[in-house]
Amino acid sequence: MIDPAWVSGLSALLFVIGLAGAFTRKNAIIVLMCIELMLNAANMQFAAAAVHHGDTTGWVYTIFAIAIAASEVAIGLAIFLAMYGQHESITLDDVNVLKN
Amino acid sequence: MAGSGSSEIVHSTAAQYAPWILLLPMLAFPIILYLGKAMNGNKMWKDTLKEGGLIALGFMGASLVLSLWLVIDFIGAYGGTEMLSDWTWFTSSMWADGDNAVSTVSFGFGIHIDHITVMLLFIASFLCLLINTFAIGYMNTDPINDNRNHRFYAEFVLFCSGMLGMVLADSFLWLFIFWELMGLCSYLLIGFYYERPSAAYAAKKAFLTTRVGDVFLMVGLAILWDLFGSLDYAVVFDSHNIEAVAHDSAGTLAWALGLMFIGAVGKSAQFPLHVWLPDAMEGPTPVSALIHAATMVNAGLYLVARMFPFFGHEAMHGELADLAFIIAAIGGTTAVMAAAIAFVQHDLKKVLAYSTMSQLAYIFTGLGSALYLANTLYWHKYLPDGTTNADYYVNHGIVIVAFGAALFHLFNHAMAKGMLFMASGAVIHEVHHAHHHLHHHEDDHDHGDPEELVMLAKYLNDNDQTVYEFFKSIDLDGSGDIDMFEFQKALTASQIANLPPWEMTALVKAVDLNGDGRLNLPELDLALGRIVSDLDHGHHDEFDAQSMENMGGLASKMPITATAMLVGSLSIMGFPLIGGFWSKEGIIANTWRVALEDPRFFYPALCVLLGAGMTGFYMSRMWLKTFAGSPKGEVAAHVHPTNTWIKIPLFTLTFFSLGGVILASMGFTHWAPDIEYALMSDHGFIGGFLYEMEHVFANSKPFFFILTYIAIFIGAIVGPGLALSLYGGALDEGETAKPWFTPVLALNAAVKGRYHWDNSALAGSGFATALSNRLYFDHYYDMAMLKIVAAFSNKAAQADASVIDGTVKTIERTSQDISTKLRALTTGSARDYILMAAVGTLALVGLIWGVVA
Repeated sequence: MIDPAWVSGLSALLFVIGLAGAFTRKNAIIVLMCIELMLNAANMQFAAAAVHHGDTTGWVYTIFAIAIAASEVAIGLAIFLAMYGQHESITLDDVNVLKN
Repeated sequence: MAGSGSSEIVHSTAAQYAPWILLLPMLAFPIILYLGKAMNGNKMWKDTLKEGGLIALGFMGASLVLSLWLVIDFIGAYGGTEMLSDWTWFTSSMWADGDNAVSTVSFGFGIHIDHITVMLLFIASFLCLLINTFAIGYMNTDPINDNRNHRFYAEFVLFCSGMLGMVLADSFLWLFIFWELMGLCSYLLIGFYYERPSAAYAAKKAFLTTRVGDVFLMVGLAILWDLFGSLDYAVVFDSHNIEAVAHDSAGTLAWALGLMFIGAVGKSAQFPLHVWLPDAMEGPTPVSALIHAATMVNAGLYLVARMFPFFGHEAMHGELADLAFIIAAIGGTTAVMAAAIAFVQHDLKKVLAYSTMSQLAYIFTGLGSALYLANTLYWHKYLPDGTTNADYYVNHGIVIVAFGAALFHLFNHAMAKGMLFMASGAVIHEVHHAHHHLHHHEDDHDHGDPEELVMLAKYLNDNDQTVYEFFKSIDLDGSGDIDMFEFQKALTASQIANLPPWEMTALVKAVDLNGDGRLNLPELDLALGRIVSDLDHGHHDEFDAQSMENMGGLASKMPITATAMLVGSLSIMGFPLIGGFWSKEGIIANTWRVALEDPRFFYPALCVLLGAGMTGFYMSRMWLKTFAGSPKGEVAAHVHPTNTWIKIPLFTLTFFSLGGVILASMGFTHWAPDIEYALMSDHGFIGGFLYEMEHVFANSKPFFFILTYIAIFIGAIVGPGLALSLYGGALDEGETAKPWFTPVLALNAAVKGRYHWDNSALAGSGFATALSNRLYFDHYYDMAMLKIVAAFSNKAAQADASVIDGTVKTIERTSQDISTKLRALTTGSARDYILMAAVGTLALVGLIWGVVA
């Protein structure tokens, strides 16, 4: 059995990688991928905790999260398409209508 | 509290109807105003109803009938004081001092009738009716008033209602309210020709100058309220209340009365608040007759006469003597000053305006003396220690005769001066009409350049000065354009004109092409150049229908008017046996009586004695310049008699002034708060006449006997004699006048032929110049306004901009700065928001961790 601390560590590492990517990247699709990465880091933590405690609740949450993530990706890609229609680009720097 | 809803002392049926005396004119006000709007231009409204004149006449007539009923009731059946208050205005709860109990004060309107009320009531309602009649003949025949006379009549009846209300009111509060109503109507009526800048200016000046006095009056009333807890006559004149106040705070009461007196000074146009009255002559002549001669200016006298119970109460013995002196001294000063200014006036109405100031000042002096006597003599039946007063009869008589003389002069002056103003109106009306008839083709003044500019162009031409040099010399601050004051200074310095501000405004407007209120070189050059080229063609015809320089010899052309003017002038001069004689001699004698007691009073006493001679001079001068001699100019030679509407009141009042002897014989000189001395006192008519002849001059000592003859001598012989030697002369050949003018004109011709002397040195002297500039009072008041009030206003405006607005603006600017900085944080980039959310979450986690751990 792997020590849960390792799994948590891996999960945290994945999360930070996702977060850093979300901050720094300009391409909207990559940012979306990074957000997926953060979600999966959380899922991994759920799964590991469920195994560790012998409790199925964690599995249920994981399944829900994956379902939400899937729909989120669908919506996100739709938004990118709409964005491309308006701005001719999906670079996030070009999208700043909320400025000031 | 009085006025709480029940009738208190009601003795006569007439008193029950007394409120209608003032309510009727008040009702007429909206009626005339509404009908005038609705039927404006309608032929029936204009010709039959005289644009509301007849409606006003009807209401004023009804009001006069009620007044007469009341007056006759009062004289015939009952001579004391009546009070009727049966209408509560409002009730207010107040926190009483000390214990926190709530006390209730109710303000009600009531009617107060005593001897002063009755006299003023008769004057006001009688003259209002006559002047209304006059106004129909005066206003409705002048095309300039077409379709706006209803405004005149509406304001006229509102004014009458204010005057009657002030006289009838039973508390100082209502007196003040109606006092202000009159002030408002005076403002509206002086400014009736509001399209003329001088009229608008005069209206503002009258309103603001009297307002200065009214502020003091209001403070005085507040102090009186503080002392008595009420302003109702019933409370403040109550013997026990006066005793209590006199015991605790007699000095405060003196201050209250003194402040109220300042209000009277403003309303009655006394020195130093007299400047508004001459300018108020800008109003139509009926207004001058009604407001500025016969009624409103008497309001101040009425207020002072109302204070009599304070002065006459033995508890206040000697406390108010200084105030009485101040009243007499202000009166004496004004009497001489106004009479001197009247010497040099050429405007018929201005002479009368200054005469009004001077005569009102006589009445103030008389009241001051009477109040002094009432305050310092023991004139009650019992002395303060309870013993019977041995001098009661003598002292009582002295006080009542002195007070009666002042009140009777008020009556005589109102009648005579109302008539004089109406007669002057008739003259002006007819002279204007004759001028219009002769020169109707020249009456279009639309191309006229201001006279001063023409004179300036000539001045520059004569002195070989270019416009550029002139401009440089007057541009004191070197700003490249000149303002009104620099221009005014330049005009004065080059001896062209010394213009009042409103005329300067008009003058500047005539030159100021770009409308910035300042003049620059091109504007001045253009205007003057145009005038120089115009000088060859244009000629200016400035005809002043009010100037006596354009009259003369009218006695044969307007006999009724001339008679009225003669009788009125004689009455004002105090010519023996005619109206004003009885009261004026009484005032002079009583002032000297006081002067013998208190040397301070020598000042007012000398003033009124001197003033008697001056009155004789300026009134005679006015009559002679207008009616005697040959006509000056062709206009005066073509004057016609006036119309019937104007003749009726002149005729009536002539008899009232001549009938002064009858009234005096009936005992009106004793018109005082005392039934024993009241009318027809046990002498009968002939006996009364002889009694008055013997007693009216306070003849107890030979001194007064001699004094009386001195006063008659200088008032009826020296003053008029000087005028007779200087002005007038025989009528032209072929002109016939009424037989009663013959002695006057013959005397005039004889004196002038024999004793005529050259007064041009006097007329050109510095003093005469000062007099024709009204002793520079207006000048210094204007300067004080500019230097003090305007400077203060500028500072206040600066403080407003820097402190008050500054605070608000600083708050606004700071918050804007902060929000600008905060706005920079919202970059619009999603990644930045994520970063902020992450950092925020981290901080929260850290916080919770820290707290939990």
